[in-house]
Amino acid sequence: MIAFEHVGKRYGGRFEALANIDFRVQRGEMVFLTGHSGAGKSSLLRLIMRLERPSRGKVRVAGHDIAGLHASQVPFYRRQIGVVFQDHQLLFDRDVFANVALPLEIQGAEPREIARRTRAALDKVGLLHREKALPIELSGGEQQRVGIARAVVNKPALLLADEPTGNLDPQLSADIMTLFEDFNRIGTTVLIASHDLALIARLRHRVLRLRDGRLIGDQEAT
Amino acid sequence: MSERESGKAARSSSQRGARSQRPVMRSRLGAWARHHRAMCLDSAGRLIRTPVASLLTMLAIAIALILPTALWLSLDGARLLDAELDESATLTAYLASDVDEREAMRVAEALGASPAVEAVRLITAAEGMAEFQQALGLEDALERLETNPLPASVVVSPKDASPEAMRALATQLEAVSGVDEVRVDLAWLERLKRLAELGRRVTLALGVLFGLGVLLVVGNTIRLAVESRRQEIEVVTLIGATHGFVRRPFLYSGAWYGLGGGLLAWALLALGRQWLSAPATALAESYGASFTMPGLDGAGSATLLISSTLLGLLGAWIAVSRHLADIRPR
Repeated sequence: MIAFEHVGKRYGGRFEALANIDFRVQRGEMVFLTGHSGAGKSSLLRLIMRLERPSRGKVRVAGHDIAGLHASQVPFYRRQIGVVFQDHQLLFDRDVFANVALPLEIQGAEPREIARRTRAALDKVGLLHREKALPIELSGGEQQRVGIARAVVNKPALLLADEPTGNLDPQLSADIMTLFEDFNRIGTTVLIASHDLALIARLRHRVLRLRDGRLIGDQEAT
Repeated sequence: MSERESGKAARSSSQRGARSQRPVMRSRLGAWARHHRAMCLDSAGRLIRTPVASLLTMLAIAIALILPTALWLSLDGARLLDAELDESATLTAYLASDVDEREAMRVAEALGASPAVEAVRLITAAEGMAEFQQALGLEDALERLETNPLPASVVVSPKDASPEAMRALATQLEAVSGVDEVRVDLAWLERLKRLAELGRRVTLALGVLFGLGVLLVVGNTIRLAVESRRQEIEVVTLIGATHGFVRRPFLYSGAWYGLGGGLLAWALLALGRQWLSAPATALAESYGASFTMPGLDGAGSATLLISSTLLGLLGAWIAVSRHLADIRPR
């Protein structure tokens, strides 16, 4: 699903965010990406989302070298990836339903289809009863679940998460991770950047370790 | 855009395998139309929710539109006046001083027979003297003259009042026996036409300048709107919105601002016309001329509204294109 082939990323010609990253994630895998802040986790995710292009090496997603995508193709590429952000990036001027429905609206789905799939996604994260609420009325954990519902509403083949539990207490974090495992169980490839080492250790999935932009460990699932 | 859309349609149809491409295309078109409708209403709603700010922007646009439009209208009015003046354009044929009154009538008739002449009016030497005295108020001085030094003259109204035709007619009339000299006062006519041409160019230049002003007003407003919705733009870009999708609500806002400004300009012009009409007509009447205040007819109103809407759209387009490039998701 994801293949990094000797990828390096420099910013401004000097600062080396990533160096010689080489790994593969199979379709249907669930993988954690760990490391201190500044180790390059976010840069790696940005490369997959094609917010950046690698300075060297190739990033392949579903077999395609994504650096070769034309700017006009990038939006269609991004629609195949669900992304969960640490600060969940909800739009506060519209209700929960509208937030979750956004990817479907961007894709131009039928209104009936939008309603059906949005409610299904909200149901999955246990927030169907809050569809009319504004994001500001929700707790941090609920907001993150809305962010997850939005990421999975168009059934992406690949789900990326950048510190999805960064601001949550341990119990809520565990709940969120369980949600990701549920999506992984139905075939979604999941890649989660997190520094919550205790939680990751308990979940026994594959772990990629970054330090100073280098891959220093690839621990298989146990 | 179309290439992109068809590429997308092709991709999704291949994803769905057996389904034919036609229904996919139709649903894409439907989705596109739906989003246009939604954004058209959404952007109107946003304008209405901030009535004071929207109205101020529209007022700025209206003022920028009123100036060139009013100037253009007054030129239009001047053109009507111009046509009237053409009708009053005449040539004066001065007859030789030895031509007596009967001879003068014969010459006047001969002049009137020319196909290029609309009408002739004979002014005898005595009538000429009387007019001269009245005009100058020099009765006493002129009465001391023993003989009338003025020749009889014929005022000729031509059918075609263009300078070229007048000049040609003058040469033709000068050849008639008994005619001493033909005077054509073309200078003031030509001056007036040049003035009108100058006015047209000034209007055009002002129109272009104020049109740019509208672009700037809309552009700046849209720039602020883009800035205030930065987070939303970042998010939708991250989840796969095309440039067209992101741009659309702002383009509609620009068009609404333009249309609103155009309507406001139209209303203010109508008001101004009402207000100026009475004194302008009174002024014209005091000169013995009939005058109707020029106003916007149906075509003129449509031109004003369409061009203001297009200007709004263009201003938004420029602003959005410039500022979307700056907004890159973090």
